[in-house]
Amino acid sequence: MPPTPARWNSTTASPADRPPDPPAPPRKIQTPKSKLQTTKSTTSTATTSAATASANSAADSATDSATNSAAAAPDILRPEQFSAFIQAEQKALIDALGVRKAAYLCNYTPLELLNAAGVRHARLFKGGSSAQTAAGELFTQSIFCDFTKSCIGGFEQGDPFYKAFDKVYNFHTCATMKRATEVIELFTPTRLLNLPKLRDSGDSRNFFHSEILQFRDDLVELAGRPVTDDAVRAEIIVYNKLRLLLRKFSELRKRANPPLTGRAFLDIARAYYYVEPRKLLPICERLCKHYETLPASPPSPGQRQIRLMVAGSIMADGDRRILDIVENELGARVVIEDHCAGARPFYHTIPETGDPCLALANGYLDQSPCARQRPLSDAIDFSARLAQDYNVDGVLYIFLKFCACYGVSQKDFIARFHQLGLPVLALSNDYSESDRGQLLTRIEAFLDVIREKQTNLATHEHTHTLDA
Amino acid sequence: MKYKAQDIIASGEWTYGPAWPVVGLDIGSRGSKGVLLVNDEVFTAFIPTGLYMQETADELLRRLLEETGLQRSDTAFIVGTGYGRISLKYDDIPYQVVTEISCHAMGAHAVLPGTRTIIDIGGQDSKAIKIDPRTGKVVEFVMNDKCAAGTGRFLEKAAVLLGIELDELGPIALESKDPAPVSSQCVVFAESEMISLRARGERNNDLEARANIAAGVHLSAARRVNNLLGRIGIEPGLAFTGGVSNNPGMWQVLETLLKSKFQVPGIDLIYAGALGAAVYAGRHAAASPKIAAKYHARPFVREKTAAAGPIAANASEVEFDNSLAC
Repeated sequence: MPPTPARWNSTTASPADRPPDPPAPPRKIQTPKSKLQTTKSTTSTATTSAATASANSAADSATDSATNSAAAAPDILRPEQFSAFIQAEQKALIDALGVRKAAYLCNYTPLELLNAAGVRHARLFKGGSSAQTAAGELFTQSIFCDFTKSCIGGFEQGDPFYKAFDKVYNFHTCATMKRATEVIELFTPTRLLNLPKLRDSGDSRNFFHSEILQFRDDLVELAGRPVTDDAVRAEIIVYNKLRLLLRKFSELRKRANPPLTGRAFLDIARAYYYVEPRKLLPICERLCKHYETLPASPPSPGQRQIRLMVAGSIMADGDRRILDIVENELGARVVIEDHCAGARPFYHTIPETGDPCLALANGYLDQSPCARQRPLSDAIDFSARLAQDYNVDGVLYIFLKFCACYGVSQKDFIARFHQLGLPVLALSNDYSESDRGQLLTRIEAFLDVIREKQTNLATHEHTHTLDA
Repeated sequence: MKYKAQDIIASGEWTYGPAWPVVGLDIGSRGSKGVLLVNDEVFTAFIPTGLYMQETADELLRRLLEETGLQRSDTAFIVGTGYGRISLKYDDIPYQVVTEISCHAMGAHAVLPGTRTIIDIGGQDSKAIKIDPRTGKVVEFVMNDKCAAGTGRFLEKAAVLLGIELDELGPIALESKDPAPVSSQCVVFAESEMISLRARGERNNDLEARANIAAGVHLSAARRVNNLLGRIGIEPGLAFTGGVSNNPGMWQVLETLLKSKFQVPGIDLIYAGALGAAVYAGRHAAASPKIAAKYHARPFVREKTAAAGPIAANASEVEFDNSLAC
């Protein structure tokens, strides 16, 4: 069963949400290589999108080249190839002519509307570079988080991808992101929309619905074409499918021996924000099928890797420092993340019937919440649930330095994880490059604590068995 | 420096010492510490961390072996810890790394077996560690974020500004009856606060003003550490480790803030990390049949025995100021 509590699914009866995690069929061990060599490439037929011809052809050729480079798997875009694929998509977006382009910063933006309006769109969430951060600091005080600074910094540095958009949309989530939107206005026309924070109030729903309608009207103006209810409904169905599929990728990591690293999952998840959904769907479907046919082999004895959850602030596109230390250097695995660039955004489904804009308002408000939303207990419940469902050994609670929200609410999150018996390491993160050694020490010691706990438990259980 | 093991173990019983020589090297951000265990003897050495960690580590090992009268090839196992642990390589001696958090816990546990809570303040980090008193293993820890407030570096800056040596800072602070308000957590801003405090001081009570500023600086750093400890809680059996544990001013202000007394160790706990590393080295060595076979084939021989006595002074260490190193 998908680990979505009723609360996050209360508005849907969509069949798309129901299929349980298909268990890996019992079959003979077969290497992915031998299976894939027998299948023909179908990449070029994958594209059925409404995007412009020029953009499509550029992106297609990129897909082809990425696919060709993996001769062993002609029809599958593997996680490590996603970066090149996304880069080509970004270039195609920059180069696309005759189409309006809209960017957004926050996951509360309904992508269904952007797509229904026929605009090229992408999320601006690059981060992890100290130069980009410093460029943003020209406009902010030092006590803004590095993500906010990076959002502005991309524009200040003249990043061609950031410059490519006709309009930037953002939702008022926290004070610093609101200020960032106001600064971005200096570079590109922006529209700030309101996100009600009290998600369990009826007034919030009505208000958010009216904001969604305004968002739609603004898009109609930008795109110069109407956005019909039918078009929005069609997009809801497509995005529901995509979110479900991405959730399946994440859930592959529930296996005792996860076939995907945390990094590989984030590489795939990134595509959700950069690639046209109808183009991404078949790519993800093929890859997902490939993983599902792999036998779920248990880890060899003594080789079990420590399973970690990452919870907290956004882990921006490019901010892979901590992940590299955890997975590459120390050999642990991130099996689930509760942040808005990880698995969290894929744990919600939009109602596919009824008034589509109302469905979007309810669906996005009901999504697994950002900790800026109230009641906070919803976010904590969701986080705790993920930790249990993915059977993690410990939690890395990573908050951006100066984040008033995730920084302050860490106490409540940590208290809940402790209740579940999970060790937690809280790390304040920024995009500087000087503290690698300090991070390494902390994480290494944290893994020691987890191992020690497991040893104690095993000894205890052993003694218990002997007693009985 | 040489110790008899039974003199530094609070319980009087030494259960860690292997028969074979094992070494713990703690390469800190400011100072490097080494401990060699052999039979029931404990040797320590301290040098400031140089630019090249491997050279620093080699020099520490050389000093330890020289004092013990052993050859390099007699060393059964080395465990490296501290900031520089990653950069060390030994082709001829079995080597492992363990984080300084685990090593400090084990070192404090070995010396003060009842320890449940450790405050460790070093050159660039401060940490609060909760340990399991049965095993000396870490149960939980919190560390400062990467800013140096509340660490040895902060105190070092303060000493420079007051024109005194670092090892004078603590004793001078103890003379104060009215600590000056140093509110800033940031070394840079605290520095400007101190400059204005100093400017306000009158000529004839210069010494009093200096003591008050020194005390204020300690209080500011201690508050920061106290907050850290507040996140994991204090359990009785408190130990203070790291270079700053040598500072009597910090010792006192922390005891006042925490309303608890630290246990008094029989060895300078600047060596807690290195001692813990040596304990881990001993365990690794004991678990290795290969190492046992080596000593069976060729027992190690000590060329000379260092002067007897529980705590022998060693002149070569006096030239280094170790009150800050981590």
